[in-house]
Amino acid sequence: MKVEYISPFVEAALSVIETLLRVAPERGKLSARPQVFTSQQVNVVCGITGDVEGQVIYGMSIIAADKVASTMLGAPVVTFDQLAASAIAELGNMISGNSLTLLAKAGYNCTITPPTIIKGSNVKISTLEIPALVIPMKIPGIGDFEINVSLQQRLRA
Amino acid sequence: MAKKVLITDDALFMRVTLKNILTSGGYEVVAEAVNGAEGVRLYREYQPDLVTMDITMPEMDGITALQAIRSEFPDAVVVMVTAMGQKRLVVEAIQAGAKDFIVKPFQAEKVLEAVRKLIG
Repeated sequence: MKVEYISPFVEAALSVIETLLRVAPERGKLSARPQVFTSQQVNVVCGITGDVEGQVIYGMSIIAADKVASTMLGAPVVTFDQLAASAIAELGNMISGNSLTLLAKAGYNCTITPPTIIKGSNVKISTLEIPALVIPMKIPGIGDFEINVSLQQRLRA
Repeated sequence: MAKKVLITDDALFMRVTLKNILTSGGYEVVAEAVNGAEGVRLYREYQPDLVTMDITMPEMDGITALQAIRSEFPDAVVVMVTAMGQKRLVVEAIQAGAKDFIVKPFQAEKVLEAVRKLIG
């Protein structure tokens, strides 16, 4: 997978998280996985279609998800309900959407599918056999936040 | 009398957020649609002063819904509120009749400023 597909997601995540959560995340070291896999408890899955296609997963612990949703909603989340899940999904949607704006500037026109929330550890998504690059981030006061990017140039018929 | 707004977004969080912002600005949110098709149906029913329209939605996307509303109601005031800010999409939305284009995440004041400029 081309590294130029990754930079927009890193840049967009840093910017969107700082705007929404009012803290600056710290970026960790990039690593590779043979395919999209997440060991996080709460995951937002966004499909990408267009000049490049695949999936991006934003993962975090349930504690981090509660804190993210509480900050976005401006009130403590007591139970991880539909509104809290929607806030987390929207965070993933905003990062993906902003990433596509940056990808378009690099010449790749894409669109996103509505985000899906998956709760549960050790989730393997295997619709496409595309290697994944993982960008770990630490959000001060919230916890770890992981971005799994698995994209490839569109397969032409 | 408060100006009427219709919110069209598949994300509950965004509908709640936009409703809070618009209500605090003195607007009446008359209905909330969860996809473009429902947005078109609710526009016919309520004929609001303004519509906020997401783009990526199931069943019918926001650009298609914008085109459907504007073909039936040429004076409809529609503001796109979306996470995607590609130039191509902005141009497509403006050509389809959108009056403004707000990229998420946004500041509450930015939404109110856009709405005030269009409907007072």
